[in-house]
Amino acid sequence: MTIVPLNRAAHSGLRIDPARAAEAAAAVHLVPLVASEIRQVAGQFPVFLAKDAETGQFYPAALMGLEPQENLFWNGAALEADVLPLNLLRLPFFVVGEDAEAAIAIDEASPAIGPQGTCAIVDAEGAETDYFRSVQTILGRLLQGREETRRLVDMMLETKVVREIKLDLAFHDGSTSLLTGLYGIDEVALGRAREKIAAFDDLMILAAMALSLDKVAALVRRKNARIEAQSAWFTPGS
Amino acid sequence: MAENGAIRSVCIVGGGSAGWLTAGLIAARHGADLKVTLVESVRRGIIGVGEGTWPTMRNTLRKIGLSETDFMRATHASFKQGAKFARWRTGAADDFYYHPLVLPEGFPDLDLAPYWNADPQQSFSDTVCFQEALCEASLAPKLMTSPDYVGVANYAYHLDAVRLGELLAEHCRGKLGVHHIDDDIIDVRLTEKGDVSAVVGERHGAIEADLFVDCTGFASRLLGEALGVPFIDRSDVLFVDRALAVQLPVEEDSPIASHTISTAQRHGWIWDIGLPTRRGIGYVWSSRHAGNERVEEELAAYVGPDFAKLSPREITIRSGHRAQFWKNNVVAVGLAAGFLEPLEASALVLIELSADYIATSMPASRSAMDFVARRFNTMTRYRWDRIIEFLKLHYVLSEREDSAFWRDNRDPATIPQDLQDQLELWRDSPPGEHDFASAHEMFPAASYQYVLYGMGFRTRPRPGRLGDAEAAQDAFDRTAALKRKLTATMPSNRALLTRLAQYRFPPL
Repeated sequence: MTIVPLNRAAHSGLRIDPARAAEAAAAVHLVPLVASEIRQVAGQFPVFLAKDAETGQFYPAALMGLEPQENLFWNGAALEADVLPLNLLRLPFFVVGEDAEAAIAIDEASPAIGPQGTCAIVDAEGAETDYFRSVQTILGRLLQGREETRRLVDMMLETKVVREIKLDLAFHDGSTSLLTGLYGIDEVALGRAREKIAAFDDLMILAAMALSLDKVAALVRRKNARIEAQSAWFTPGS
Repeated sequence: MAENGAIRSVCIVGGGSAGWLTAGLIAARHGADLKVTLVESVRRGIIGVGEGTWPTMRNTLRKIGLSETDFMRATHASFKQGAKFARWRTGAADDFYYHPLVLPEGFPDLDLAPYWNADPQQSFSDTVCFQEALCEASLAPKLMTSPDYVGVANYAYHLDAVRLGELLAEHCRGKLGVHHIDDDIIDVRLTEKGDVSAVVGERHGAIEADLFVDCTGFASRLLGEALGVPFIDRSDVLFVDRALAVQLPVEEDSPIASHTISTAQRHGWIWDIGLPTRRGIGYVWSSRHAGNERVEEELAAYVGPDFAKLSPREITIRSGHRAQFWKNNVVAVGLAAGFLEPLEASALVLIELSADYIATSMPASRSAMDFVARRFNTMTRYRWDRIIEFLKLHYVLSEREDSAFWRDNRDPATIPQDLQDQLELWRDSPPGEHDFASAHEMFPAASYQYVLYGMGFRTRPRPGRLGDAEAAQDAFDRTAALKRKLTATMPSNRALLTRLAQYRFPPL
């Protein structure tokens, strides 16, 4: 990655293919979320809390693979999902810096950038395109969502509804995997804590996260299918 | 005292780590069932011994209800993964061994000691345990993602004991409802039966309670003075009776040692405890063997040129303990119960163990108290004896000949008989769990192995004991692999503590 601040002079001629931007997610198994998108994303992916290695702080994230650097929704060309997290939709753009210092940046090494790209940042008159305005909206939601997400995570920890979930899984070929470092909303604990959660919206987000744990089964299914496809490939004589 | 002899109130006399740890553990366990009062003379101040803890402190603080982040920030704490004993054996510059907090790989199911003794090429501690490698590189025992009080490797703390007292005081008063009185005790009132009925404060008058905890330091105002429980001097075994201590400020980004460094000197030894802000350094010695001008010279040489800017504080140590620790309705915790040289950081752990026993075994009535006291006395005396033996073990194996201090320490007349007998046993069989069968052991058999083999002691190899050579080789290999992995992945003590100033350890 080569992330540089977005600059009208240097970048106004860029063409971007949004479909290819998600290639960066091909080797990502956890995608960080902001509070406002959790309910929707939890309809597609299991949503956990994970810890930032640098700060030790919890953040919500969608699980897309069963081991580090694995994305089971990536089919080689696109992500097979109806709902995608904002952190994938924004690619190849980034927000750098905090609060008033925040600025838009771009990954100049992204495969989405190239002459064949269908979208531009500015049109012929030099005005921002609809595409770029939608990117700005997404980046705005991510930036504004930081504090709200922090508050939501703190509330989850204070109300003690979080517990560690070890994904100890077995696949059709007899192989196993153990994915640690994931924390989910415990349904029983959520039941006990519901009086302490004042806002209905918060309660719904937590409920959506608790229910989304069932979606791990979909990941296992995808993993089995991938294992099967690979073993078919390697069958001697075929 | 309540009419029916029910125990409804506890008065802790004296603050400091002893007083406030006891108050915290009792209050956290009993809540509103028990009125807990702590009376101390704020102007009298505290001695603040014990800057090194045992891993037990993690559980103690958790029970009291403090978060590790708040505790570490407030007490300027750092991580301690064991002790490095330098120059204890021969006195040579490269003479050292470790007593790490992690047990030997596989212990106790697999005992590596016989295998190591059969071919003692490298140091015992570095062969059977990965932790020495972390210490030598000043690395931390946990990560920023490690939850409160949970580590990748076993650990304890180095801390500022004065600040620990302050933090506990604030927590006990604010969160646990401990009643705090600032007063000077001018009298102790006894009943006809010899119980303490009240302590009398200069400004508050009589302060009554059903149980009194004596945390008045060396003075032992209640147990020693008022109830006349004698002090048993143990300086016949442990000679150290003086300490000369300094605090050396350190650079903000300097490495912080992950272990206590104990360096033997001609007339005793020097402790060196690294905190983020300073190093606490002190020379402990025996005044029967050396005058303090000679000691100051050696301490100055250890500290370096900065020594001239520091003001050393001399502390008198009375090695020993009370004949009883709980008599009638008075129980002593901390220095009021006794003190030993700080060689294995036994001061704070004895406070924790005593306070925890008092909190968990709190008798509901006065009539049940004498039995609880008897059990406490048997158990606590056992603990003191074991600690004294273990501390003595460090001295008796030394080959140093440079002073009477070291030679006298090897005089059999100064070595407890049990220790002499055990050393005889260990010539043919490594220390094992069977040697330490009590529920109140202080040090596991592994600790004896670390010190014995670190000091050059050897157990005669017996071929019959080497039946599982493959399992032993696997354990040695695992240790080597852990060393490689952890030295590559763990952050430095300094880096982790710097990050902890900004972020908190996660609660789970």
